[in-house]
Amino acid sequence: MKNLIIAVLIMIATGTNAQNFTADINSAKSSYSAGKLEDAHFSLLQAMQEVDLIIGNEVMKQLPVKIDAYASNAGDDNVTANVGFVGTTIHRSYGPEKNIDLSIIGNSPLITTLNAFLSTPLLGGMMSNGNNKIIKVQGYKGQLTKDAAANGQTNYTIQVPVGSSLITFTAKNTTDSQILTWANTLPLPQIAKLIQ
Amino acid sequence: MLQRTLAIHLTENLNQNDMQLFKKLILLILLAGLVNSSTEAQFLKKLKDKVNSALNKDNNSSNNSNKNTQSNSSSGHPSNTRGGGLTNTPPPDVYQQITDAEKSQASGNYSDARYSLQQALMSIELQIGRQILLSLPNSVNGLQKDTMQNRVMSTQWGWNNLSIQSVYKKGDQQLTVTIGNSGIYAGLVNMYFNSAYVQTENNGKDQNAKQTKVKGYKAIITYDQSRGYTLLVPIGQSSMIAWECVNFASEQDVMNAADAFDIDGIKKMLGEK
Repeated sequence: MKNLIIAVLIMIATGTNAQNFTADINSAKSSYSAGKLEDAHFSLLQAMQEVDLIIGNEVMKQLPVKIDAYASNAGDDNVTANVGFVGTTIHRSYGPEKNIDLSIIGNSPLITTLNAFLSTPLLGGMMSNGNNKIIKVQGYKGQLTKDAAANGQTNYTIQVPVGSSLITFTAKNTTDSQILTWANTLPLPQIAKLIQ
Repeated sequence: MLQRTLAIHLTENLNQNDMQLFKKLILLILLAGLVNSSTEAQFLKKLKDKVNSALNKDNNSSNNSNKNTQSNSSSGHPSNTRGGGLTNTPPPDVYQQITDAEKSQASGNYSDARYSLQQALMSIELQIGRQILLSLPNSVNGLQKDTMQNRVMSTQWGWNNLSIQSVYKKGDQQLTVTIGNSGIYAGLVNMYFNSAYVQTENNGKDQNAKQTKVKGYKAIITYDQSRGYTLLVPIGQSSMIAWECVNFASEQDVMNAADAFDIDGIKKMLGEK
């Protein structure tokens, strides 16, 4: 039932976005025809934000509603479209204590550093402090980082760059093999196709 | 007596013979010397010719090697000396891109829709840039616009990095006007306005930067011995106009040059409030 409500909400949101997209595109066309370049520019930017939101919602549809025993927190689902420095942000968490957290950030400023780390073994070796290593998740190269929390728990983070977007998958109080198993349940190829 | 006479005769004979022999010897030495010196001269000449030819060869080869190094970079790779460059294509067709975006969006290819929108945005930005470029004066205080150096650049969609540049020249004087849309620079300039230290630089002597106004807009003018005058005017929320003036006589000349530009018009075209 809960999943059905989420699906309906996403569909409504996508439908609204599609309507806004059409309105923005029409506005851009009429402004451009009238020679109002600045207005056309603004409308196109709006349309692009709408497309980003649609992409975000489509990605959301692909994400599993449950990972292992942890159900997703519907209230924590979030898609934000930003124009400028950072692109779309897609966020979902799982578990009562937000045990697992997934975020996808478009045009992430961290991408360049991470790609350098992943593609240069020497750099990877130098930057490695014993708490991170290069891994592969469903064929996608990524970085696994171990983080000892103050409460004695061990948290793990997997970062996978896809094009200019960064997928960050975090799990609290777990092991490296467990987070890898969970990461393998994510539909990475479908997500990559949508956000690339 | 006879003996003495014989001795004198013999001596004379001997002396005559010796003299002849001596003369012959001298002649031989002289001849040998002459031959020798001519050989030596020839040898020297040959040597000189050899050295000259060797030097010339060296010069030629070094010239050649210079030429080679000119055409080759230090890493040994040839540097490009030919090629017509890219053809100047018009910006993407906005209508076409919008139609493509609509089609892609309708068929669920959101990534393609986004790309088409980016292209349309870039095209509009370039058009705005060209409009602004055309609106700039053809001459400023006797300096003529160098139409070869007009530039419009849209490096990123989304109003983030549009740059429009025009250059004016006369003799050794040059004025470069850059109209940019970058929130980062505009932010820096605004920070500048809020800092009092600018006014008291170098213990109040040799003031190299100060606040001023151009057509009612707040501005900053700076002077640098090697770069000349720079006048910065932030317009609207995130745009800025910069005038870089080389070999201008005075601050007033720079202000007069800036007054020749229609700042309100540029601001309107950039859609700034």
